[in-house]
Amino acid sequence: MAPADGHGSLADRQHAVLLKKPLDAARGKPLDVARGKPLDFARGKRILFFGGKGGVGKTTCASAVALAASRAGKRVLLVSTDPAHSTSDIFETPITAEEREIYPRLSGIEIDANLEARRYIDNAKAGIARMFSHAVAREAERQIELASSMPGVEEVALFDRIGDLIIERFDAYDLLIFDTAPTGHTLRLLRMPELVSSWITALSKRRRALLSLNKDIDQVRLAPEAVNPDDDPILKTLEARREKLEQIRARLMQHNFTGFVLVVIPERLPIEETARAAEILRESNVNVCGVVVNRVLPADADGDFYRSRRQQEQIYVDEIRQRFSAYPLVWVPQLATDVYGLENLERVSYLLMRESESPM
Amino acid sequence: MDWKELKQNFGDFVHGYFVSEYERKLREQFVDLNDLFMLQCFMELVGLPNPAAIYLLDVYPFFLEEFHMWHRRMGMDRSPIGSMPCC
Repeated sequence: MAPADGHGSLADRQHAVLLKKPLDAARGKPLDVARGKPLDFARGKRILFFGGKGGVGKTTCASAVALAASRAGKRVLLVSTDPAHSTSDIFETPITAEEREIYPRLSGIEIDANLEARRYIDNAKAGIARMFSHAVAREAERQIELASSMPGVEEVALFDRIGDLIIERFDAYDLLIFDTAPTGHTLRLLRMPELVSSWITALSKRRRALLSLNKDIDQVRLAPEAVNPDDDPILKTLEARREKLEQIRARLMQHNFTGFVLVVIPERLPIEETARAAEILRESNVNVCGVVVNRVLPADADGDFYRSRRQQEQIYVDEIRQRFSAYPLVWVPQLATDVYGLENLERVSYLLMRESESPM
Repeated sequence: MDWKELKQNFGDFVHGYFVSEYERKLREQFVDLNDLFMLQCFMELVGLPNPAAIYLLDVYPFFLEEFHMWHRRMGMDRSPIGSMPCC
C-alpha cells in the first residue's frame, strides 16, 4: 500500500489517488470502491445520522459513506454538526458554513452554531428596527447582544439550521448525511422539536384564550376593537413556527427514509454509552438502522501484545453481538494508519461497504 | 324630563352598572391570563430556562406594548430587558 503523499498540491494528490488502486490494508487485495456493496441498512435512506461516543470514528464513517454514495452516483450533502468540526481535516479541503461542492456530487457544510445564532438574532433585530424609531433601535442594539449569549441559543440555532437543511435541501440531494456531536448533545437535539413544539403549543393556546376573552369584553361593550384570533401577528408567528417544527419532527421519525447509525468501538465505555443511546433513540421513535463496530483488531495482527489485546477484545465483541443483536452490525477493522485524506477514506468506504463479515 | 325619559335613564343606569361590573371582572381575568402568557414568554427573566427563547425573538417586536404594560404592572419602572426597548 502506498502511503498518503503528504506533499504536493491537493489536485496532485487527488490525481495520484485516482490513478493508483488503493489496497486493502488488512488483506493486501486491490479494492474497488465503486463496486463495493452499499451499506445494506443504508439502502433507500435519504437522511442518515452518524452518532456515538466521542472519538469512535463518527466523522470517518460518515465521510466514508458520503464519499462512497457520491461515487455511486448519488448527490450527497455531508453536514457536520459537531462544534469541533473535523470534516475539513478528513477531506483535507476547507469546508465552510456555506454549502460547497468538494468532490463531484459531494457537497459539505460545517454548521457554525455561533454564526447561526448571530444570523437569527440579527433577523429579530431587523424586525425591531422596522417597527421602531432609529433611536430606539440603536439603544436596543447594544443590549440585544446579551440575548445572543443566552444559554441554549446556539443549540436551538444549530437545530434550526439542521431543520432547514432537512426541509429545504431534501429535494436537492439524494442523501443527507449528518455527522453529529457526541451522543448526549445529539440526543437532546433530536428531542428538541418535541420539546419546543409542545412549548409553543402551550403558548399559542394561552394566546388564543386571551384573544377570545378580549372578544367577550368587546361584546359586552358593544364596541369591537379586539383583533380576530386569525389576524393576530403573534399567534400567526407562533403557529408558523410550530408547523415547521412538526414538519421536521415528522421527517426525523420517518423510518423508511431516515436512519440513525451508531458507531461504537469494542471497549467498555463506548459500549455502555451506545447501548443507552440506542435505547433512548428507540424510545423517541427514531429508527436506529445499524451499528458500525469500528477499530476491531484485524485477525492477522500478530505478536504477543496483539494476541492478548485480541483476547480481551473478544469479550467485548461477544458483548456487542449480544447487546446489539436487534440491529444490523458492520465490522470495520483497525487500519494500519490513521484516517485522513481521500485514499484512506476510500479504504474505509470499502470496508464499510463490503458484505458485513464478523471478525475472527 | 318626562316620565318616559326618566324610566329610560334609570334603565340605562342599571344596565350600565351591571355590565361594567361584568366587564371589570372580564378585564381582571384578561390581565391575569396575559401575565401568565407573558411569564411564559419571558421566563429567562426570572431565571427559568425557556426552551423556545430564540424562537420567541420572532414575536418580541409585537409584544412591545403589552410588555410595557406588564413590566409597569409588575412594579418595574423601566424595561428589565435590554432587547425590549420600550423605556
